[in-house]
Amino acid sequence: MKIKLRLPEFLRMGTLPIVLIVLMAIAFVVAMVRYTIGIGAISDLSYSYPWGFWISFDLFTGVVISSGGFLMAGTVYILRIEEFKPLLRPSVLTAFLGYMMVAIALLVDLGQPLRIWYMIIHWNHTSVLLEIGICVMSYLTVLAIEFAPVVLESFPKLQKVAHLIHRFIMPFVIFGVVLSTLHQSSLGSLMLIEPTKLHPLWWTPILPILFFASAISVGISMIILESSLSSRYFQRGLETHLLAKLAKVLPITLGVYLVIKIVDLAVAGDFGYLFSSGIMSVLFWAEILIGVIFPMVWFSIEKNRNTPSGLLTGAIVTLLGLILNRFNVSWFGITHPDPLFYMPSFMGHVDYFPTVPEVAVSIGIFSAGIMAFGLLAKYFPVFEAEHHHEAQAAD
Amino acid sequence: MPNKHNAYLFDATRCIDCRACMISCSVENKIEMDKTRIWVAGVGLTGEYPELQRSTMVYHCMHCLHPDCMSACPVGAYTQAEDGPVTYNPDLCIGCRYCMNACPFGVPHFDYDKGLMEGAFIDKCTFCPQRIYNGDKPACVGTCPTDALEFGERDELLKKAHERIAAHPDRYINHVYGEFENGGTSYLVLSHVPFSELGLPELPEEPINEISEKVMEMTIPFALSWGAVLTAVTVGVAAYDKKKKEKAAKEKEAEVEK
Repeated sequence: MKIKLRLPEFLRMGTLPIVLIVLMAIAFVVAMVRYTIGIGAISDLSYSYPWGFWISFDLFTGVVISSGGFLMAGTVYILRIEEFKPLLRPSVLTAFLGYMMVAIALLVDLGQPLRIWYMIIHWNHTSVLLEIGICVMSYLTVLAIEFAPVVLESFPKLQKVAHLIHRFIMPFVIFGVVLSTLHQSSLGSLMLIEPTKLHPLWWTPILPILFFASAISVGISMIILESSLSSRYFQRGLETHLLAKLAKVLPITLGVYLVIKIVDLAVAGDFGYLFSSGIMSVLFWAEILIGVIFPMVWFSIEKNRNTPSGLLTGAIVTLLGLILNRFNVSWFGITHPDPLFYMPSFMGHVDYFPTVPEVAVSIGIFSAGIMAFGLLAKYFPVFEAEHHHEAQAAD
Repeated sequence: MPNKHNAYLFDATRCIDCRACMISCSVENKIEMDKTRIWVAGVGLTGEYPELQRSTMVYHCMHCLHPDCMSACPVGAYTQAEDGPVTYNPDLCIGCRYCMNACPFGVPHFDYDKGLMEGAFIDKCTFCPQRIYNGDKPACVGTCPTDALEFGERDELLKKAHERIAAHPDRYINHVYGEFENGGTSYLVLSHVPFSELGLPELPEEPINEISEKVMEMTIPFALSWGAVLTAVTVGVAAYDKKKKEKAAKEKEAEVEK
C-alpha cells in the first residue's frame, strides 16, 4: 500500500535549503555546548593561539568578502555610473549578510558575548579592534538603511518610507564608503601590534593600505561570484556585459596592489625571505600567484571576461588566493612565543589546528548567510533595478 | 612618591626550580596550581651527569613600560599605574583576546573552560597590590628561598643587576633583559644562558605598539578628509550630470523646433 505524503507548501524545498538547515542546526548545537562548558571544549584555541579559524574565516574573510557593497554604492550613487544599478542591490545584500555573519561569529568567539555592546560606550582610542567594532556596527546600520527599500517596496503602505530613504540616501552612502575604507584597512592594522609575531613577508607598517587595496579586488570578485551563482540557482540571466567591465578593472587593482607590495618588500629589505623561509615562502608565493598574478593574466584575456565560465573561474581563483592572504596574515604567518616549553602539562600545546566543531560553527553561520540571501532574493525584488519600482509607484 | 617605579629582578643563576613562588601565588590569589599567574619556563635541566645545567626562569607579566595589552584592548580593560603595575579589570573585558595577541611575551591567560554564565575572562599577574602597597613584597618574591626573585625600585634593581654582572662577568650574559626590550619592562632578568633559552623573545628597543598607535591617531583626520573628498566628488559629479542632462534636453528641444 502506498502512503502519499503531502507536505505543506513552505516545507517543500530543494536539496540546498535542507543541507543549509542541517549545517545551521549543527552549528547551533556546537554553540550551545560552547556557552555551557566554554570555548576550549569545542575548539583548539589556547594561550598561545588565542585566535584561530573563527577569526581568520568569519572575521577577516567575512569582512573582506563584504567589500562589494561599498564599491557598488560608490559607483552607482557617487560616481553616478547608472548602468551598474542591477548589481547594486545584490552587492548591498551580500555585504549586509556578510557583516551579520561576522557579528554572529563574534557572539560565539567572544568570551563575554553579552558585552559586545561595551565597545559602544567604553573606548580605548589606541585600539584598532575598537575602531573595527564601531565601524562594523555603524556600517551594518548604513547597510540596513541602504537595503531597507528593497523590503519596504513590497508593502504598499510602506512605500512612502522607501521613497524617503531614497531621497536622503547620499549622506549614508558617503558615510558607508568612509566606514568601509576605515575598517577594511583596519583589519590589516590589527596586526601592526605584532611585528615580532607576524612573519616579515607580511608584516609591514603599510598593512592597512595593502588590505584596502586587496579588498577592492575581493569586492569585485565577489560581485562576479555572487551574480554567477545566483544566476545559476535562480535561473535568471547573467549581466555578463557589466561583469566584463568589472573584470577589466581587476588587473589594474591587482597590479597596483602588487606594485605596492613589491616596493614595500624592497624598502624593508625583505626580499631574502621570499625563498628562504620554508613554509612561509610557500604560503606567500601561493597567495601572490593564485590571488594576484593568475587573475591579472586571466582577466587580461578578453574571452575570459566575456564568458560566464571565464568570469566565474577567474573570480573563484582570485578569491581563493586573496582569502589565503587573509589567513596568512591572521593565522598561518604568525608565530606565537612559547614561554612554557619546559612544562608540557601546562598550556598544553603550541600548535593549533581547528577542531571539527570549530569549523562546523563557521560553516553553519556561512550557511545561514546563504539561506538568508536565498530567501530574501526569492521574496523581495533584490535583482530588480530600483528605478523599475519607482516608475511603478509613480503610476 | 615621585619617580617610584616598582620592579622585579630575576636572577636565573639562582633559581632552583622549587616552584615555591607558584605555590605562594596560588595561595595568595586563591587560584589553582595550573592557572597561577607565575609559572616556570625555560628549557629546564639539560645535559648528562655530571655536566648538568639548569635553565629555568619564572615567567609572569612583564608590567611593560609601554604595555601592548593596554594599547590593544578595545574597551580599556587594562590600566597602568604611575608606579608601574599594569592592571586588568574584568568588569570591562569582553573576552576578545586581542591582548593575548598583542602581548609579545604571551602572558595573558584566558578561561577557555568557562561558559557563558561563569564568564570567560583574562588572568595575569597583578603585582600583588594588596601586598606592595602595605609595605610587603609580592607573594612570589617573599617566598623565594634563594633570592632569585627580588623586588624594589626599578632604577636601583638595574644598578644592582649591572653591578652583579660586573662582579661575575664569567657567570652572566652581559645584558639585563627588560632594561630596553619593548621600551623597557618592570621584570628584569639576569641569565647565564641566552635569554631565548629562558623563553624570552627577542624584542627591539622601540615599543611594539608605536606604529599601531601612530596609525590609530590618523584615523579621525583621515576619515574626515576622505569624507570631504567623497562629498566634493558627489557634488561635482551631480553638477556635471545635471549640466549634461540640461544640454541634452536643450539639444532635443532645438531638434524638435527644427
